[in-house]
Amino acid sequence: MPKTVRICLLSLLGAVLLTLPWMNVNDYILQVLVAFMPQAMMGLAFALALKVGLPRFDIVGWQAVGAYTSAELMLRAHWSFWPTILVAGIIAMLLGWICYRAALPRGMMVFLLFGMVIVLAVYQLFGSLSFFGGWGGTGILPPVALGSFKFTSRQSVYYLGLGFLVVNVFVYYLLYKSRIGRAWDAIGSSLGLASSVGVNVVRYRMANVLIGNFFLAISGSYLIACNQMANPGSFTFANSVGVMMYVVVGGLRFAIAGPLAGAVIITLIPEYLRFAKQWAPVLTGIVTIAIIVFLPNGLLGLFQKRVGPWLGKGKWLARLSGRSKEGPEVPV
Amino acid sequence: METHNLGKSFGRLQAVTNLELNVEEGEIHGLIGPNGAGKTTVFNLLTGFYPPTTGSVFFKGESIAGLDPHKVAEKGLVRSFQQTYLFMQSTVLENVLVGCHMSGRAGALREFLHTSKARTCDRQSRSDSMEIIRFMGLEPVANELAGNLPHGYQRALGVSIALACNPTLLLLDEPVTGMNPTETVEMVERIRNIRERGITILLVEHSMAVVMNVCDRITVISYGQKIAEGLPAEIRSDPEVIQAYLGKEDEGAA
Repeated sequence: MPKTVRICLLSLLGAVLLTLPWMNVNDYILQVLVAFMPQAMMGLAFALALKVGLPRFDIVGWQAVGAYTSAELMLRAHWSFWPTILVAGIIAMLLGWICYRAALPRGMMVFLLFGMVIVLAVYQLFGSLSFFGGWGGTGILPPVALGSFKFTSRQSVYYLGLGFLVVNVFVYYLLYKSRIGRAWDAIGSSLGLASSVGVNVVRYRMANVLIGNFFLAISGSYLIACNQMANPGSFTFANSVGVMMYVVVGGLRFAIAGPLAGAVIITLIPEYLRFAKQWAPVLTGIVTIAIIVFLPNGLLGLFQKRVGPWLGKGKWLARLSGRSKEGPEVPV
Repeated sequence: METHNLGKSFGRLQAVTNLELNVEEGEIHGLIGPNGAGKTTVFNLLTGFYPPTTGSVFFKGESIAGLDPHKVAEKGLVRSFQQTYLFMQSTVLENVLVGCHMSGRAGALREFLHTSKARTCDRQSRSDSMEIIRFMGLEPVANELAGNLPHGYQRALGVSIALACNPTLLLLDEPVTGMNPTETVEMVERIRNIRERGITILLVEHSMAVVMNVCDRITVISYGQKIAEGLPAEIRSDPEVIQAYLGKEDEGAA
């Protein structure tokens, strides 16, 4: 029963996501949907690092690295968009390794501070260097093309983003389900115990951060497909901090479903608070604080508690989030 | 396993001084001493949680002083913790599975892609874990969350996680702390059974009854220095030990 429910719900979600652009939505909503994809990927990366007990504030920085790598390769070397994704991902991993090689063995606080410095440094760097186009951003890029098809309409860009997001979720899901994910969970819940059973904490943390970097860079490349330019204004420190709210609002225990749900809600709240004009950010903050205070497990925690018992004791939601709570296969 | 001249100082506080400890293969070795004698510090030194200030640790003839904890665990020297360190949000089975981290290795790419080899390894880890869970008498609660277990079960789970690492030398840090008499008797029985599996045990314990009952040899430390070593009967009658430790307690307890 729970498995059937899970498959039904997932296919329903898939159907909604696939038909969303054609459901009589106006251009503005479509733009919000297109902009939602990289936000969701950022939320996933934050939740990924949180698994090993590392709060990431460098998220936007690596996204910028990805975006500028793609943009410069397309502008200067006249590459097609697709190979630049891979190059952007690899460069973000390499730079990440160089930056965090010294920081990670020194623990969470040093990592956090490094992250803050990286975000600010990347922002300044791309803004001030004329090679990258300065504060005005890079020049306008040609639209992304696949054969003769051009991703110019908002609908097509939406599907492109959805594709990236689905791949991202799938990869993270596989990782969380594997022995690697188990080791990550162990590090996150007790560092000492994890290392006492032979988990190489620094190495597993590094792998976690670099995988996060790879997908963050890809989300940056997607921004290029989306906006047809890279602009330092999209990569401010405030954006990086905002990502944390997705995870908190969605629920810290749900490494995949949490940030996705949180990103939807945080993206939607300001739309419904337009009447409040300049007070909208303040109200968003109040709503977020209310969620933190009254729902320590986030909105999905509430959902699991209230709706879960109806759907097979909430097990499907736990599985969806990548934290398998299924019973043991007792070997005979 | 043996240590030579092992020492650790925190600033000007000398926690452990020139400790010579010798644990023979196959024995249950007790490490006792009054509160603050440095027993847990010794554990942390042996398992790589602290780097020693002086001296060396040899395990199976290899020097392991200053290695990282996960390297020490790979050599087969695994510890349990004095505090109840568990993965509270996970089930008992998942907790023990984490302990199988080293044996269930199939290669990162295989694990990520969930190839048949990785799944075979995973099944093997699961059945190994269930075997340990049964061995430690945790079978009835295998699917419970660790955080919801009574204290006695939690302590047993801590030992199970360490056992899942396939240690050759198991270091138990006060395994019966806070247990009621029934649980204590059970735990003592299990410690004996663990030795039957061919695992050497170094036991730190406060309860004299347990130590005298279960250990083959005992080392007594006080203020970071070894004051006696020998059979339980010798320790019981050692005047220095009585002065440092037993003398302050009810003689009947020993």
